[in-house]
Amino acid sequence: MRGYLDTLKVIVVIAFRNLFASWLKTLIVGGIILFGSMLVVVGTALVDSVDASMSRSIIGSVAGHIQVYNATSKDELAVMGSFQMEGADLAQIDDFAAMRNAIMTVPNVKDVVPMGLSGAMVPAGNTVDVMLERLRDLVRRQQAGQDVKTAIESQKDHVRQIVGVLSADFSNIGKIFNEKAVSADELEAVRRASAPDFWTEFDKDPLGSLEFLENRIAPLASDADMLFLRYVGTDLAAFSRSFDRMKIVDGNTIPPGKRGFLFSKWVYEQQVKLKTAHRLDDLRDAIVKRGKTIAKDPDLQRMVKLNTGEVKEIMLQLDNQQVTLFRDKLQKEIGSQETDVSRLLSAFFRVDDGNIMRRYQFFYDQLAPSLTLYRVRVGDTLTIKAFTRSGYVQSVNLRVYGTFAFEGLEDSHLAGELNLMDMVSFRELYGFSTPERDKEIQAIKASAGLKDIDRDKVESELFGGGADENSADNNEKPAGIVDAETALRGLAGRAKLVKRENEAYDPAQLQQGVVLNGAVIVKDPRLIRQTMADIEAAGKKAGLTLKAIDWQKASGLVGQFVTMIRAVLYISVLIIFAVALVIINNALVMATLERMAEIGTLRAVGAQRRFLLGMLVVEALAVGGLFGGIGSALGAGIVAILRAVGIPAYNDIFYFFFSGPRLHPGLSVTNVAIALAIVLVVSAMSSIYPGILAMRVSPRQAMQSDE
Amino acid sequence: MKNIVSVKQVFKNYTLGTFVVPALRGVSLDVEEGEFLAIAGPSGSGKTTLLNLIGCVDTPTEGTVQVAGNPTNVMSDRQLTRLRLHTIGFIFQSFNLVSVLSVFQNIELPLLLQRSAAAKERRSRVEALLDRVGIREYENHRPSELSGGQRQRVAIARALVTRPQLVLADEPTANLDSVTGTNILDLMKELNRTEKTTFIFSTHDARVWAYASSVVRLADGQLIDRVSAEEAVRVGGVGGLPKSTTTAGVRTT
Repeated sequence: MRGYLDTLKVIVVIAFRNLFASWLKTLIVGGIILFGSMLVVVGTALVDSVDASMSRSIIGSVAGHIQVYNATSKDELAVMGSFQMEGADLAQIDDFAAMRNAIMTVPNVKDVVPMGLSGAMVPAGNTVDVMLERLRDLVRRQQAGQDVKTAIESQKDHVRQIVGVLSADFSNIGKIFNEKAVSADELEAVRRASAPDFWTEFDKDPLGSLEFLENRIAPLASDADMLFLRYVGTDLAAFSRSFDRMKIVDGNTIPPGKRGFLFSKWVYEQQVKLKTAHRLDDLRDAIVKRGKTIAKDPDLQRMVKLNTGEVKEIMLQLDNQQVTLFRDKLQKEIGSQETDVSRLLSAFFRVDDGNIMRRYQFFYDQLAPSLTLYRVRVGDTLTIKAFTRSGYVQSVNLRVYGTFAFEGLEDSHLAGELNLMDMVSFRELYGFSTPERDKEIQAIKASAGLKDIDRDKVESELFGGGADENSADNNEKPAGIVDAETALRGLAGRAKLVKRENEAYDPAQLQQGVVLNGAVIVKDPRLIRQTMADIEAAGKKAGLTLKAIDWQKASGLVGQFVTMIRAVLYISVLIIFAVALVIINNALVMATLERMAEIGTLRAVGAQRRFLLGMLVVEALAVGGLFGGIGSALGAGIVAILRAVGIPAYNDIFYFFFSGPRLHPGLSVTNVAIALAIVLVVSAMSSIYPGILAMRVSPRQAMQSDE
Repeated sequence: MKNIVSVKQVFKNYTLGTFVVPALRGVSLDVEEGEFLAIAGPSGSGKTTLLNLIGCVDTPTEGTVQVAGNPTNVMSDRQLTRLRLHTIGFIFQSFNLVSVLSVFQNIELPLLLQRSAAAKERRSRVEALLDRVGIREYENHRPSELSGGQRQRVAIARALVTRPQLVLADEPTANLDSVTGTNILDLMKELNRTEKTTFIFSTHDARVWAYASSVVRLADGQLIDRVSAEEAVRVGGVGGLPKSTTTAGVRTT
């Protein structure tokens, strides 16, 4: 053993001599290796950290460790980053209880959360609608004998103010384009509503006047937006138990057994909040959190421009008193004598880097208290209209119980794009039957005198004639004939808005009935692969066609991000080390050719060929090990610094990938080991050809040389 | 006495492109143990080729070479290398020391390759040789810090450290001045006498012949004769040998 060590020592001494003898070459080769190994350490540490953070984001928000859905589905399940409004076309799983029971037999499974993903356009109502609804309510109360005269007058003032804003708008449009740009009917309606007579006559026929305003004026106010909402129907209790990063931000969670809707805080801010206020928030965040400036950032400039041009949304909310209040406050704040409040608001929103913070503060302290910042408020009822699977429109009214966010992912749209609703309402919107609907259909059937008939006997039932003599070859469904239930369900869906906001349901329904997919939380995440196979096997055993996919796949394109980054990293590393391999190889070949006499001498005095190969391998490994070691150490240092400082998430996508505002990458032994392993393998490989050359050197070379 | 080297009807051809150049043409030679044999001849006569064949660094095209009873023409490269390591010591015209290693390490190198001697034994053997060749005080020097004579002493010590039966020296004094050359020859002769090591060296320096027990004379790849040192000196150096009939292309280096 000792002899081997001494021999190795000689080999090492000779190898190092060669490195020092051609130090420039060594430095160039070493530099490349150093950079490569540094890149591997930093790169793999970053990718691993992003992978871990992202998996935390995805697993902790909505995907769980594993998603299970019906294997016969047309599409693949993608719970995140899908561009389809309605989500993937998944075949239903008829009985969640059976699915849950099957999955829970797998030892590594901790819990299964029922889910269904879909999307809907939700009319959020415009300001005029809201104001008119309030006025109608007051009129009703007055008719019922309540003394609400002052309130009615104030509300009337407000509506007149709105009509005034619309009238000014129409006059502007007329100036910019021409009178024809506005239809005569619309113009006439606005003129009529602006006329003092209309308002003096209002009290004579308040309901008739309201009808006119609702039908002819409200549609002219273009601030009504449809909200595009993607939502997950689920068992809220199981959901919040399994996804412990979920927290209620405003309001409360949906009580057990109640129907309801929870806005994602992100959606609530992005879509429901007053646009000017939301842009002001974005401007402030970009400056404070990401260090951007309005002066340099075109995106921020665009936001400022939009805000200065879109003050109507605020104007429509103001009654006469508030207009005066706003005028005074704004004149003082921006030092202007302008009397037109919409112009004052435009000027107020024309912020720059110098005044943004002050104006932001002023907006929330002085103006916002007089405004309705959110079009839908906690406690409001939301009418969700969705297309069912069979294509008809189903509407359900749901109470908004609150907003929620996933801790650490508040600013991420990927984590925040999905809202939550109870599973029972989801099933109804998706066109699945619920006990309530079944009851409703039964009632309609009973009142219409309908009964179920066998498809084969339809003719005889309809036209009489006893037994069907052609029944044997008459099994085909007659074209155009559908069963009564489908017909009724469709009719009911088209005809009726289902007012379910206050309805309770039996919580047991959550555990039964239809779901589209289920999120599985596992006990040991390292065993995901095995657990997926076990789940599919358990499904098969229970007669279910279950398909299990891991969180990465379930998250769609988002989950592939890390794989993509990893591929880019590995390709870069491959290129760098391919270059290193060629350069080391060339350097060693040259060194070998320069040392033919020495190698010949070694052969002559008794060195076997493998000794020479070993000498060159050691030489390459020495360069690789030394510079690879320094590179890895530098890489580890960089990762340590990044860990201490944190890499800021520049936008909401990175926010999601980093699972928070900053990524604090961690370094594992594997990162360094991979770097060193690559370096050593490449070094050893690059010494193979020079080694072969050296082994071919004849000991005769020793006899032919001069020192 | 037993033969340490036995060369029988050896031919050695080298191929240069399409030309076949004969370097040795039917040489036969026996060398007894303990001899101090000089191989003489002008440049291109085949001295180095013969030495290469005896030193197992080359194999004959035809004929047989036996070294210490081993038929080299049927041995593998690995076996030949082992034979060189354990049986033969080499002294080169250009010393061929490993420049990065110290004097001590250069001498120790063959022992390390043998992997048979423990560190302590290696040290004692190297030190004994350092004393013997008179360069003890230079043991930590690099070859570049030594004179030509000192380097050749290191080379001699390296050749002898494995206690070989045979030492081959290719023009050992060619790169040395006459005084140093004489000293080196004295040293080799003394080692031959005391260690009973067989020495075969190639030279075309007539002064060297005087040290030899016998001189083999080569010309044009053929063995002319084998004479005593006195006879060789009497015949008169290289000039006393038959004129080279070397033709263009014959290579004996």
